[in-house]
Amino acid sequence: MKSFTGTDAVSVDAGSSKVLERAALEQSFDRLLTANGPALARLAGSYTNTPSDRDDLLQEIAIAIWQALPRFRRECSERTFLFRIAHNRGIAYLARTRSQPPGLTEEIEVHDPAPDPESGLAQEERAERLRRAIHRLPVVYRQVVTLTLEGLGYGEISEVLGISESNVGVRLTRARQLLRESLENRR
Amino acid sequence: MSMDAEWEVWRREWQSETAVRLDLRKIVERQSRWMRIALIADVLVTVVIGGGATVLAVRAPQPDMVVLAAMTWLFVAAAWTFALNANRGNWSPSALDTAAFVDLSVRRCRSRLAAVWFGAGLYVSEIAFCLGWIYRHSPEPRTPLWAWLFFGSLTIDVVWAATLAFAGALIWYRRRKRAELAWLLGLRGQAAEPVDRRTP
Repeated sequence: MKSFTGTDAVSVDAGSSKVLERAALEQSFDRLLTANGPALARLAGSYTNTPSDRDDLLQEIAIAIWQALPRFRRECSERTFLFRIAHNRGIAYLARTRSQPPGLTEEIEVHDPAPDPESGLAQEERAERLRRAIHRLPVVYRQVVTLTLEGLGYGEISEVLGISESNVGVRLTRARQLLRESLENRR
Repeated sequence: MSMDAEWEVWRREWQSETAVRLDLRKIVERQSRWMRIALIADVLVTVVIGGGATVLAVRAPQPDMVVLAAMTWLFVAAAWTFALNANRGNWSPSALDTAAFVDLSVRRCRSRLAAVWFGAGLYVSEIAFCLGWIYRHSPEPRTPLWAWLFFGSLTIDVVWAATLAFAGALIWYRRRKRAELAWLLGLRGQAAEPVDRRTP
């Protein structure tokens, strides 16, 4: 009969604590993505031209979150943590594909997820026009706009982007102007 | 329409898109497995090449075999040292703020561009050493070096074809990284512009 030694106990403890850690990590990951998946998908869409590119970028974002999650020590809010990763992956994606140099305007193919009831058609058209207008903004303005539309305040946006709150305000004012002009010109 | 009301309308329109069609958990698990395999493959290549040369030297302990094993380990060590040095300070959590991430990406791009020259130099050194070693061990009487190098055998022709392909890949990679660097520097320039200059 095999005797149970102190070393065995330590290795069993270490093993089970790893399993528990992994389970906790998976739980956090699922919770974060359930709560923020749509927001992350919208942010990914602001960096890409087609639904399939958006899905590719969303996958990259999810993988980056999975890798960064064990080192997340809550120095910032969960949303700040997630949106930092999403925007960083977005920038890496743009640098790699250079699909849209900063400031360039081009037509994009926007994903249309809505069923198509007549009552919602006009609203969906407006939403699509807004997404196109946001996509046409230079990257530095697009970032502040998308974060604002996701409900982040100046403080959180400044933490995500690494710029001062006053700079957030100035960019947002300019971005709103550009957005208005863009929406009016395409009306 | 007041400014806040305008943002509120835009926010509702923006957030009306709520579809996530992917099973992100499955994708992440699959990708994590591939990343582990890639890491193991790097180490495995080192062990197989370095270990193989060492086994040959131990089985036939002649000076030439010892030189072959020593040079193989030297090339492997040079490649690892450069790779580790190039990435020093460039690794960091993806959850940096965006401005810091752009700086990091610029540094990474420059490291990769330096790695292109290092890779080319290392490849030329390895090929020169290997061809010299093989020529020295070709049967007597030896054909003249130039004839051996260009029409010696199919193996040598394959080496030249691989060299051309490698050079092509390096040129393509360098162009891509230079374009990436230019884009990132442009973005950093835009973000660093004094805000009052961009405000009408």
